[in-house]
Amino acid sequence: MTRLLQSLAAGVGQGSIYALLALAFVIIYKSMRVVNFAVPGMMILGAYMVVYFGNVLGINFWIALLLAILVGAVVAFLIERLAIRPMIGKPVFAIAIITLGIDVLLRVVTSDLIGTNIRNIRDPWGLKTFNLGDVVIQHRRVAMVVAAALVCGLLFLFFRYSRIGLAMRATAFDQEAALTLGISVGTVFALSWVIAGGLSALAGMFVATGSGIDQQSAFVALKALPAVILGGIDSIPGAVVGALTVGIFEGLSNTYQIQYLPFLGQNFAQVVPYVILFIVLLVRPYGLFGTPEIERV
Amino acid sequence: MNQRDNSARWLLVALVCVLALVAASCDGRDDGGDNGDDGDGEIATDVGVTEEPCADAVNEDNGCIYLGTLSDLTIGPFAALAVPITDAQAAFWNKVNEEGGIGGAYDVDATTFVEDNEYNPEVHVQKYQEIEPEILALAQTLGTPPTLAALDFYIDDEIVGAPASWWSGWELEDNILESGTNYCLESMNAIDYAIGEFGVETVQAVGYPGDYGGDAAAGAEIAAEVNDLEFLGAVETAPNAVAGSQEAAIGAVLRAEPDLVIITTGPAEMAEIVGGTAAQGFEGRYIGTSPTWNKGVLESPAAPAIEALYLQSGPWAPFDTDTPGHEAMRAAVGDVDPNDGYTSGWAWSYPLKAVLEAAYENGDLTRAGVVQAAGELESVDYEGMLPEEAGHFAGEPNDTVFRGAVISRPDAAAPSGVTVVEDFFTGPTAEGYEFTEPCAAAG
Repeated sequence: MTRLLQSLAAGVGQGSIYALLALAFVIIYKSMRVVNFAVPGMMILGAYMVVYFGNVLGINFWIALLLAILVGAVVAFLIERLAIRPMIGKPVFAIAIITLGIDVLLRVVTSDLIGTNIRNIRDPWGLKTFNLGDVVIQHRRVAMVVAAALVCGLLFLFFRYSRIGLAMRATAFDQEAALTLGISVGTVFALSWVIAGGLSALAGMFVATGSGIDQQSAFVALKALPAVILGGIDSIPGAVVGALTVGIFEGLSNTYQIQYLPFLGQNFAQVVPYVILFIVLLVRPYGLFGTPEIERV
Repeated sequence: MNQRDNSARWLLVALVCVLALVAASCDGRDDGGDNGDDGDGEIATDVGVTEEPCADAVNEDNGCIYLGTLSDLTIGPFAALAVPITDAQAAFWNKVNEEGGIGGAYDVDATTFVEDNEYNPEVHVQKYQEIEPEILALAQTLGTPPTLAALDFYIDDEIVGAPASWWSGWELEDNILESGTNYCLESMNAIDYAIGEFGVETVQAVGYPGDYGGDAAAGAEIAAEVNDLEFLGAVETAPNAVAGSQEAAIGAVLRAEPDLVIITTGPAEMAEIVGGTAAQGFEGRYIGTSPTWNKGVLESPAAPAIEALYLQSGPWAPFDTDTPGHEAMRAAVGDVDPNDGYTSGWAWSYPLKAVLEAAYENGDLTRAGVVQAAGELESVDYEGMLPEEAGHFAGEPNDTVFRGAVISRPDAAAPSGVTVVEDFFTGPTAEGYEFTEPCAAAG
């Protein structure tokens, strides 16, 4: 039982990082119908900014984190204005390819900034642990879960009660109808990128906890993709559920698979998200919470 | 237009084509084909060697030898290491040129044909084929899987190259000029060292599968068997970018409770595993192979655990070591952030320099001449970075493979974060090991 709880704790923590990243994917997709492949680049840039403000400039960690989120949001805003906005009306496939190019650009620039050494963020959690009964839990895992829960709550309030949040929901539902009602769809697009940029930076900070970041850390963000598709690419609750599912099954697989299913080989946990994805998509092609598309023929 | 005019026109076209071919064949840089010479009338050359000086030549009167580089320079997993390796090799060959070049007759250009292989075998082969008609040899061919993908082409094209990896299989390849011991023998030495220092009785291996971690794990298992230690298995893990975290490896170590873990991961993953296990009470020792180290881990939350539990094995001593080779390397690369990528790039270059000098002495700087010189090389002057016998390429692998390794400990005050605690030594396991095949398959 202790092992089970421990692997669940680790899985939920890791799933919380995936949830932040999945939200960054989904929020842009909902507003623009574009899969933003630049999330890994945005994430690692945000992580590096925490390093820069915290370590290089010596600013307090929490202020460094806020500044990094701000930088992430501003960079995302600039990407939307300079690279994505001119492409509005063009095939979404073309826009998605542009985001791939932006991702490479961001990763190469950030890799250059990171340099040859591992960069650490001097976060307050480190590798410290506490015991809950016999279960050993890392402080940073708790921080990840709390942060993801807070973000989900704030997003819920934002979309439900704020004027611009309602405008974003309306735009996600029907862009043309939103336009006729006087909603600035351009502002909605920009805001979705700003939110995604900030979330990516926050997720990047959590990726850097424990052992720091190097030039390859950006690829962790791609783990959120199966979570997004699993939950439904246009569903915010789906993103969270999908991410936690992926994290938990990874954790369980890490703990039990080699013991009970050794014939699957080592490192099978890496495949688990895709196995779950495959099974779910067989039953629900639009994901657990995705909107089925109906095409008239 | 009559038939006679047509024939004359075709004859003219044919004549122009023949003249163009003759003119092209006179350009020694492209394919040579004939025996160029350096003015003494002695040196045979073909591809990748010109009588014209290199661009930005140090010695304007010298010809030029073009070397290619296939490295992981931007988006691949080893870019952080590959960039300093490549920079160090550019500095190495520049120093060779400043000292007069190869035989005082040829400068070496190792910067014109530098390509990014992205650590992707397919890209590696494609880039190789692009530069192959222009080069005599490869100053660097980075990564075991990419290099293996192109190896048959190297053999067919009579290209020798300095690898940027320590897979045990390179000992068996005539076209690869490896330096230092391999992961397999390095891990045998690590276990022999740990037996003497800590009296270990149980060993576990944790690392990436294949040519890196798999090679080290195979060495660890062999050493455990030879020394009657209990081998608790090889735990495969993957970079955090793929695995997400190292929870599985941490759990495996905690369950097995070995006295010693041979670890072959990336530095961030090592820090997470060492720190994560220590936080849960693990007190066993870790010894990591050289790519496992990066001084940045000493600023991570895992630093206290790493300083307490971790040692570093390696094929040569770190950046700040006091040998003529290290000193020359530090002077040549200039004011850089110390990193053993520079050390490795520099050390890997010595055998190719020795081969080019031998080929020149033989009067044969053709590709075939270079391959022949490589096969006859019995020692290399590494300027103290490695013993000369480490550059023995003539003979059976079991007789020529270099088996010595160094052991270092974390040291925050050292420029690259480690200080040598045991200089080159060959433990009894590595000494007695019959080396006839790679310890682990690459992949």
